[in-house]
Amino acid sequence: MTTFLTFTLLGLVLGAVYAIAASGLVLTYNTSGIFNFAHGAQAMLGTFLYWQLAHGWGWPVWLALVVVVGVVGPAMGAALHAVIMKGLRDTADVTRIVVTVAIMLGMVFLSQWLWHPEEARVVEMFFGADAKVEFLGVVVRVHEIICLLVAAAIAVGLRMLFTRSRVGVVMRGTVDDPDLIRLNGHNPDRVAALSWAMGSTLAVLAGILITPIGGGALEANALTLLVIDAFAAAMFGRLRSIPRTFAGAMVLGLAATYVTAYFPTDWTWAGNLRVSLPMIILFVVLVLLPQDRLRGAAVRTRERYRVPTVRRAAVWGVALVAAVVLLMPLMEDTSITTFGLGMTFAIIALSLTLLTGYAGELNLAPLAFGAVATIVAFHFGITGTGLAARLTLWGILLAVLVAAVVGGLVALPALRLRGLYLALATMAFGVFLSNMVLRDTVEHTLFGVTFSLFPNGALIVPPLQLGPLDLRDPGTLLISATALFAAIAVGLVALRGSGYGRRLAAMKDSPAATAMLGQDLVRLKFGVFMLSAAIAGLGGVLMSTAAGSVSGENFAIMAGLSLVMLTVVGGIGYVSGALFGGLMSGVGFVIIIGTFNDLARATPEMATIYQTLGQVVLVATALIGMGVGKNPSGLVHDLFDGYRTLRGARPVLAGGAAAGAVLYLLALTGVIGNWWFAILTALLVMTLPALGRALMPRAVLTEEELARRRSVPPELAGIDEPYTDELRDRLDQELGLPAREGRGGPHARPAVEEGDVHAIA
Amino acid sequence: MPLLETRGITVRFGGNLAVDEVSVGIEPGRITGLIGPNGAGKTTLFNTVTGLLRPDAGQVLLDGADITRLPPARRARLGLARTFQRLELFLSLSVRDNVRVAGDIRRAGGHRADVGKETDRVLELTGLSDIADLDVSGIPTGRARVVEVARALMTSPRVLLLDEPASGQTEAETDAFARLLTGLAADGLAICLVEHDLPLVMRLCSTIHVLDYGAVIASGTPREIQESPQVIAAYIGTEEVSA
Repeated sequence: MTTFLTFTLLGLVLGAVYAIAASGLVLTYNTSGIFNFAHGAQAMLGTFLYWQLAHGWGWPVWLALVVVVGVVGPAMGAALHAVIMKGLRDTADVTRIVVTVAIMLGMVFLSQWLWHPEEARVVEMFFGADAKVEFLGVVVRVHEIICLLVAAAIAVGLRMLFTRSRVGVVMRGTVDDPDLIRLNGHNPDRVAALSWAMGSTLAVLAGILITPIGGGALEANALTLLVIDAFAAAMFGRLRSIPRTFAGAMVLGLAATYVTAYFPTDWTWAGNLRVSLPMIILFVVLVLLPQDRLRGAAVRTRERYRVPTVRRAAVWGVALVAAVVLLMPLMEDTSITTFGLGMTFAIIALSLTLLTGYAGELNLAPLAFGAVATIVAFHFGITGTGLAARLTLWGILLAVLVAAVVGGLVALPALRLRGLYLALATMAFGVFLSNMVLRDTVEHTLFGVTFSLFPNGALIVPPLQLGPLDLRDPGTLLISATALFAAIAVGLVALRGSGYGRRLAAMKDSPAATAMLGQDLVRLKFGVFMLSAAIAGLGGVLMSTAAGSVSGENFAIMAGLSLVMLTVVGGIGYVSGALFGGLMSGVGFVIIIGTFNDLARATPEMATIYQTLGQVVLVATALIGMGVGKNPSGLVHDLFDGYRTLRGARPVLAGGAAAGAVLYLLALTGVIGNWWFAILTALLVMTLPALGRALMPRAVLTEEELARRRSVPPELAGIDEPYTDELRDRLDQELGLPAREGRGGPHARPAVEEGDVHAIA
Repeated sequence: MPLLETRGITVRFGGNLAVDEVSVGIEPGRITGLIGPNGAGKTTLFNTVTGLLRPDAGQVLLDGADITRLPPARRARLGLARTFQRLELFLSLSVRDNVRVAGDIRRAGGHRADVGKETDRVLELTGLSDIADLDVSGIPTGRARVVEVARALMTSPRVLLLDEPASGQTEAETDAFARLLTGLAADGLAICLVEHDLPLVMRLCSTIHVLDYGAVIASGTPREIQESPQVIAAYIGTEEVSA
């Protein structure tokens, strides 16, 4: 009985801390409509800082607490709101999620930069682990009592805030209708800023309280994933109700401790199960939640994508393969291998183009489906042994099929709900996979079968052989992967142009209207998710063969998140965005960090600077991800727009092509190094549109841009320049006055039109 | 006998009675009007009929069959189509594809038809051919409303529910629109029109129901409605009723 009481108490303590974290999440989600995936990362940063102050620099605990919880916590939240979140109005859910994911990655990179991840750090309990009280035969630590008291105080405080105070009532209204709040004389931005500050403080507090409970070891990834435990708890209240969130947190905490206490310790999965419990509970809750009401969306988002024709996509596909063939002579064998690996990542990224770009749904753990496929291929798809071992085509097909089926099973509970829930479900699945499946390294017997899903923690996946095509050669692998990427990409473009693609686009733009045309939304989402999981699985198997040997690390949730982020940065609506995202996340990081490390080794006196630069690049990528809020359509969209204007300026295009050819020849003959070639080519591609505008403005700029360039702004008319008839016409036109007789000119247009065009918003 | 019928539909939002035991019928070959001040519950009633909302009480019958608990997509496949008061166009598609996708959905549901040809026919019928290849996000509101109607027509509906289709239209557009609706009704379609343009409603509808505070306060021909003291009271201060 005492054991039971002890574990119940421990469960309540754990639940109390989950509740603190989860209530912060619910608070920000409800006031700003943004689900903060960086919530756990904020807890992590705060806890690291607290460790630095209290343990690293030996400040008194109370002072460290005041600084971290009282100052840094709220400041971090307010800053996030001011710099990033405020700018996320009128963006799609996908963009919002990716921005907070980018913040999360950035915070993880930042912490690894400031606090070397391999050093051990311990956060102590308040008043030490020996400060105990005995109560009804149960020994309670003072720290645990503090956790319970803090949670209770927060519960009461939030209740008072929401029901008794003016600002709390406004907070409840903000996300429902910011304009209405503004009409009533409140400032929704200030309310949102306040809620971000509070949410961030709660996160930091939860981080400091929970670390000692879990053993005290401070570890960046584990704390960052606290967000998952928090959202599992918040799910009990549908991300809305704080009292139910508290109840959910208690269920979670109790379940976790009971599993530890009463499951047989010799059962290999018990330990892993304990870690995965929040994910499992999350899925159960998802299944039980009632279906979402379909509402009219009618929000005009800022994301815009152009759809290429299949012919054009095919031409670009061939051009891509040709470019890779041309680049191969420039590269050493190791670079070719790395490049091939990147191309397999790009194939995985294509699964996101289909799912997110076309259908508007989100999968935050694309690599998890790659892992599923890899495991299947490893167990059932290999013939021969040793060096003669080869992956069979049937093995790959089976792996892809299983990935699709698993994808369907993961997605199904979330499909009746809004897109956010699918994102959460996939992320939970990714973490679940890392904890349960990829750690299942020891053989065990279940129902008479002895097996291990991920034997020895590393799978050796041999290359595919298909008749004369042997992918053991890195060059063959690279070209095959590129050709496969191009083929799938063209296939996707064709799909987008088909009736199926139009149905996906319709569902993405307005689920309510699509349903009202007779489309079963769940079925459509289910199908597209399975197809997307299949593509991710295919890319995953190829990635594993390209890498030769894969461990659980290869499929880590953070790697998957950065793939998602970079694909959105590249342009989620474009297959070329997938190419960018895949290459960057698959190998871009590795190359950049490797290069800086090489530089550091080559010039020891500059080593610190180079290593710092390497870290800065990592954090900077996350910064680019956060910038998605400003430019939600992606980098390739801007690039395409730039080149579209160049169509009229053939000499500029020809000059650009010639310069590119010269660079290539210089690189081929060894006059310039590969790095210079890469940098100069990238520079050339990026600057050509600007060059075109400068050199041939008449051919490149539109009439309007030319006119704007020529003339002074109307406010200055008559001040810096003489007041001419032409200026007067322009003023009339800008003010919407009717054109004067005989002086209409080409610019005169009826004034009514403009207002009408925008009324649709 | 009405094709679409509501029986005692009641919807509460919290303590607010948004729709109060509304029983109305919509007959094939006719245009039925549904008018009332803002917040009278017209759109809520539409949402209940189309399945976006579950009523707290009452039934929705289509052709005598109870469809109250069917999901929106099933109702649409049974021949129910609607437009939205706040436009719900597919902003990443062109005008043509907005219409065409309705045919794509129908085809995926097992209905064999030449979607391309059917799209051209509907675009022609609704007078949208001249802007068919434009981005739907760039066209004026008045025409965007017609796109929604065209999209609804692509499903070959038996009942068409129109939620303020004429708002944002110019006079000429409204005239063309009125001719379109009359033609559709003549072909046997059952149309329900929610509209604030009362002269238009009076001109087109054979029967009008007036909603106020969620309840039907009057039903009848345009003439009867114009003379009803309750309606005049509900619309006090507005001259249009006598127009």
